[in-house]
Amino acid sequence: MKLSKRIALLVSIVLAAVIVGVSLSLLLFARNTILSLSTEQVQRKQRTLRTSFSEMANYYARGDDSEAVHDSLIQYCFTRFSDQTSVLMRDGKPVYTGVTVDPSAYIPIDTEPYNDGTPVAVRTQGRNLLIAGSRVTVNERSYDVYVVEDVTDVYTRIRRMAWIFAGVSLSAIALGAGAVTLLVRRSTRPIMALSDAAREIADGAYEKRADVKTKDEIGTLGADFNRMAEAVETKISELEERNERQRLFIGGVTHEFKTPMTGLLLHAGLLRRANLSEQERDASLAHIEAQTAWLERLTQNLLKLTTSDEEIELQPVHIPDILDAVKDGVKPKLDACGAVLSVRCETDTLTLNPDLIHSLLNNLIVNAANAYDADAPEKPIVLSVTGRTFSVSDRGRGIPKEVQDRIFEPFFRVDKSRSKKQGGSGLGLALVKTIADAHGATITVDSEPGKGTTVSVTLP
Amino acid sequence: MKNRILVVEDDAAIRDAVLLNLQFADYDAVAFDDGRKAADALEEDHAFDLALLDIMLPGMDGFELFSIMERFGIPVIYMTAKTDSASEIKGLRDGAEDYIVKPFDPLTLMVRIEKTLKRLGKWNAVYRFRDIVVNTETHTVTKGGEPVVLQPLEFDVFVALLRHKNMTVSRERLLSEVWGFDYLGETRMVDVKISALRRKLDLEDAIRSIPKLGYRLEDER
Repeated sequence: MKLSKRIALLVSIVLAAVIVGVSLSLLLFARNTILSLSTEQVQRKQRTLRTSFSEMANYYARGDDSEAVHDSLIQYCFTRFSDQTSVLMRDGKPVYTGVTVDPSAYIPIDTEPYNDGTPVAVRTQGRNLLIAGSRVTVNERSYDVYVVEDVTDVYTRIRRMAWIFAGVSLSAIALGAGAVTLLVRRSTRPIMALSDAAREIADGAYEKRADVKTKDEIGTLGADFNRMAEAVETKISELEERNERQRLFIGGVTHEFKTPMTGLLLHAGLLRRANLSEQERDASLAHIEAQTAWLERLTQNLLKLTTSDEEIELQPVHIPDILDAVKDGVKPKLDACGAVLSVRCETDTLTLNPDLIHSLLNNLIVNAANAYDADAPEKPIVLSVTGRTFSVSDRGRGIPKEVQDRIFEPFFRVDKSRSKKQGGSGLGLALVKTIADAHGATITVDSEPGKGTTVSVTLP
Repeated sequence: MKNRILVVEDDAAIRDAVLLNLQFADYDAVAFDDGRKAADALEEDHAFDLALLDIMLPGMDGFELFSIMERFGIPVIYMTAKTDSASEIKGLRDGAEDYIVKPFDPLTLMVRIEKTLKRLGKWNAVYRFRDIVVNTETHTVTKGGEPVVLQPLEFDVFVALLRHKNMTVSRERLLSEVWGFDYLGETRMVDVKISALRRKLDLEDAIRSIPKLGYRLEDER
């Protein structure tokens, strides 16, 4: 059963119980009040009748009155005060009766309460009667004076009142239950909205939000739910983006491997199957050597790239030492292409990972050397360290503005054929970026085509 | 006349290997390492029967180069390292005749080139080897001007050897190229045809048996 229905049913039952309870007590109270009013009235009437009759009869009565005189006196006195409710009895026989029904049928004379004037309710022959009676003595003869009040009307009225109460209660219950159901349904509607949103999010619609704007606990829950959905969506899109980057990277790696592989396969095939001249055989072997060397460089860089984005160890390093090592490392390459490296250092010690920063600077310098056309008359490269910033500058070709933010992507090359001729794996700047990121450093590129490039890496 | 083929491939190793294979198969091949250079050269000389294009090219990529090929009516086969089907489909829908994915088998490339040329009616039906002339359209062979009678299967085996001249062709490959499917274990049949060819065409020295690999029809080099 739905929660809303259960709550509505429960509240309706409680409401019904309260309404029925209140109605019943009101009804009982009203009935008792009316009955006690009638009872008092009857009691008073009986007392008045008894007293008046007794006083008058005793006043006129004489001890020597004959039986007949006495009887007529009694008759006379009683009729003076009687009405259609009055009954006078002697030894269980009615002497005078105003009521239409034979009193002996419902007045059991011997019963005590009738004789002390307390009214008693009796139901007989379809009528409700209140009977009050007591004994008086006139001339040493005992008489019982009764008032028999027909209260059938009062009972009828009470019954009618009960019916009205029942009707009013029932309609109140029905109205109340309806109102409760509506209210509960309205207050559970936001829960259903939340539930719908949760289901859609679970099915992959991460951009879905719950439309809950009530200012109660459910509203708070809705706001919290939406915050959670927001966090999930952000996280998911981050993961998707990362996944996509990784997919592209793997695609790039595969593509990069395919070209040298093709060359290797073709030349191996030629060497094995073809009728090659001495010269052709040498050329094939040279190709195989070059392609294998390139593959080796590619795998080295890939390895560095995938291992240097992990947690790295930092240590205080004397910067001039690192710069000397870098200088020695790039010397063969620079000598081969005729570039001249000058180093300026204004920093003594920085906290960093020396191997990785060495690799970073090495890559930047090789890139700077490759930025010159082969026949450039001068090829100056400046490596400077100021404060926490390493920068490498050249006065080479420069990088077109529109691709400046893409140069750190793996396998992105500004000029594909030249880069390959220079033996570039397409991973140098990607590696620089990965190392900088691992240090929390920022990279800025300042480049103008035809004028040169400065790449700066600033440690945090 | 030999079929002329244009090759545009920036990787020197692949370019040289493809050129060698084309030469062996008696094609006239011209190669460029840059899309722009190839496009410029086409303005002067565009008498090519077919172009083999890399897609990722410096200067101008293979897809751009295609529209220039179209202008000169040169059919195109792409040689691509791109494995994603989107670029393959784009290449073919744009009207390329075929594509071959790197790394590829050079013999397969040769077969595809030949099939494409035949389909387009550009196939040079005549092979020459020493004083032997083979016409694949009339199915005739002459040696020193004198007709030589070859059985149909002998003829096909000889054409397959000519097609892959200077390259070793395995018995299995000969079977599949000549008979059209794999005759597993029937390679003895090939040996019979080869010895008939050697005898009828006086090619004892030119058709070499390469141990464990197959047969090779060799030019004197």
